[in-house]
Amino acid sequence: MKATSKTTNHKQVINSTSYSAVMTSLGSQGSSSSSSTEYVVRVPKNTNKKYSIMAFNAGDKVSCSTWTQARMERDMSNRRIYGEEETQEGAAGSEFGKKQREEARRKKYGIITKEFKVEDQPWILKVNGKAGRRFKGIKKGGVTENASYYIFTQSADGAFEAFPVHAWYNFTPQAKHRTLTAEEAEEEWGRRNKVVNHFSIMLQRRLREQERGGGDEDEEEGEKGAKKKKKGGRGGDLRIHDLEEDLEMSSDESDGSNGDDDEAKAKAKKEKGAKGKGKKKKKKGSDLEGFEDSDDGDFEGLEVDYMSDESSSEEEEPEKTKPNKGEDVPKGIDEMSESEEESEEETKNEEENKEEEEEEDGKKTPVQVEKKKKKDSSGESDSSEDSDIEGEAASALFMKKRTPPKRGGGRGSAGSSRTGSRPGTPSIDNAATSNTLRAAASKLEQGKRQTTVPSSETPAAKRLKMEPSPQSSSGKSTPQPASGKSTPSASDVLLTEDAVRRYLIRKPMTTKDLLKKFQTKRTGLSSEQTVNVLAQILKRLNPERKNINDKMHFYLTE
Amino acid sequence: MSDKGHDVDLTRAKQNTGVWLVKVPKYLSQQWAKASGRGEVGKLKIGKAQGKTVVSFNLNEELTVVDCSGEKISSVRSPREHPFTMQTVGGQTLAVFTESSDKIALEGMVVQRAECRPAVSESYMKLKKLQIEESTKPLRFSQRLEKAITTNYKPVSNHSHNLEYEKRKKEEGKRARADKQKVLEMLFSAFEKHQFYNIRDLVDITKQPVIYLKEILREIGVYNSRGPHKSTWELKPEYRHYQEGQEEEKEAAKME
Repeated sequence: MKATSKTTNHKQVINSTSYSAVMTSLGSQGSSSSSSTEYVVRVPKNTNKKYSIMAFNAGDKVSCSTWTQARMERDMSNRRIYGEEETQEGAAGSEFGKKQREEARRKKYGIITKEFKVEDQPWILKVNGKAGRRFKGIKKGGVTENASYYIFTQSADGAFEAFPVHAWYNFTPQAKHRTLTAEEAEEEWGRRNKVVNHFSIMLQRRLREQERGGGDEDEEEGEKGAKKKKKGGRGGDLRIHDLEEDLEMSSDESDGSNGDDDEAKAKAKKEKGAKGKGKKKKKKGSDLEGFEDSDDGDFEGLEVDYMSDESSSEEEEPEKTKPNKGEDVPKGIDEMSESEEESEEETKNEEENKEEEEEEDGKKTPVQVEKKKKKDSSGESDSSEDSDIEGEAASALFMKKRTPPKRGGGRGSAGSSRTGSRPGTPSIDNAATSNTLRAAASKLEQGKRQTTVPSSETPAAKRLKMEPSPQSSSGKSTPQPASGKSTPSASDVLLTEDAVRRYLIRKPMTTKDLLKKFQTKRTGLSSEQTVNVLAQILKRLNPERKNINDKMHFYLTE
Repeated sequence: MSDKGHDVDLTRAKQNTGVWLVKVPKYLSQQWAKASGRGEVGKLKIGKAQGKTVVSFNLNEELTVVDCSGEKISSVRSPREHPFTMQTVGGQTLAVFTESSDKIALEGMVVQRAECRPAVSESYMKLKKLQIEESTKPLRFSQRLEKAITTNYKPVSNHSHNLEYEKRKKEEGKRARADKQKVLEMLFSAFEKHQFYNIRDLVDITKQPVIYLKEILREIGVYNSRGPHKSTWELKPEYRHYQEGQEEEKEAAKME
């Protein structure tokens, strides 16, 4: 090595510090114009070590000196894609000469399968053991194509040794916390404008997974615990649309299809992502047997507000009109039953909202409580006429007793922090299987709780939910006969029970007709409110039904 | 497989060894590959001029000879001076690790990045011209032949391949019906290895005439005309025990 007089000094400097230091130190020595040192560069030939680059993003703040222990291995998870491992060889299930035949077939069709090269597989780097960080290193292509990279290290004798770089791997840290899957992420993205509490998303997911692991069977609503579990499970599957969940929870296999229809109908009306619906459908199908696979039936029986005895009419309608609904649903917004469902759905939404609020508190129990509550209420409305009403009622009663205290607490907090996200979001909370029973229960318990509700009507649980959306509150949720009327604001035509009764006595009318009578302009209510209130009234009146011209007409005989 | 997770040797990393990552042109790395002896390829000059560090690499004389395809001695020489352009290791933290046959070691962190550029000179331009010429040559090219090739596709009375085939067939002769028991043994042992067989394959294995074989097969087996294993023969269920000890059971079943 050609050495200048200052070589030895430089050597010492170099050996002790990094190269940048070398640079500066060099500057300090020698003449002003230029001073340079020469180092021999060697490219060792016999090394059996393959050099590779491990690239970390600066933002990840990786410092190799802090690593106490590290372990690296190839990530072989892609092997099955490439390797095409045979299922069995020899004996049962195999054919003589299958491999050759497969090969010949592939050649004939020109199918070229890429080899699985271990060299190209990603690395998995685990630092500091189990509790440390994990990194995945993916090979970067095209590094050695046009130019070669060399690593220059300084050896003991001051010469530089250059080693060619064999491969470049980009290492990224792997998250240890839970993340949403792609499907879930898309769901959430669709709901991002409606969901208020984004922190609850992961919480919900965790709950769902827990419960799903616990109870996956379709149980009858008998057991609270079971219900709870099921609700959670359903919630997991059918996160977006609480109504659906409610239905599934409340209605068993027997009226599962009904529930489906209703849900579907109600859903159809709401502006729900078709995807979410489809997904729910799919999930529902997979989870529950005996459920119809139609969009329309999803929200059938989704009667949230009503006490069991009042939901009868609604129950009947959905069931009877279920066959028709298939066609009607997409366009049958006018149909009373649909509107009822819509109202149910709305109430459910409200309940969901409420639940969402509750979850903001970060409490798990209120969520579950909410779930149950919702479930109850829907169950109540759904199955009021079915044989398993008793079961539901019983459970609902249990829940009623149990939940009110929590409810109250939850309510309070929820009410205060209500946001206006109610309207379009049936989906808000997974937990949501809003139960009319529960709603009723809470209503009974709490009386007039949430005050922000504009309408001074019954303090229905729904009410509380409806807080953010003032419109909804109009009398929708009262199971109690007391407040049979919707909020009559100053208007010429009041949507009262008497009015409806008069009409129905005079002649049979369809729900559409009835709605026409109580136009929103004249009653001062929004269309949703009208629908809800009308549904309630009809429930109370329990009119007789007759099919005229294939349309369901109501009439009363007094 | 090998390589089931290696503990990374972190000794060099702990020492905070710093290395340089240098990008080197392809032709230069080719020249370096030709180095002899200890592998000395040149000299690296690190200096300071007007306050800036200047790094330059000087290629050894003997390595400047460029290999040209199709020429014994090329007139083109690769340039010798190669200034380095220094760059920062800004947005990335680069570490170097090595893999050898038995272990993985972390060699150090990259503290400086550099690009090795050739000093632009006549020789470099000529070298580049040469490279471009080579790269533009197509891989396949047409070549004119002086004489037509007459050694292919001569007519022949009978191809050698055919002759061999016929001879082989003659030797084998017609397949003879062997003893039924023996055939059954052969069949059972074959079905032990695989579940489904084509009739052609069974004929090959047993060397029996087709009709005879089919008779026997009808006794002990069933033909799948549809399904995933189409047009294959398999044993009847009572003969099938695809775990262990089939032979005896099959024989027993057959006897009854």
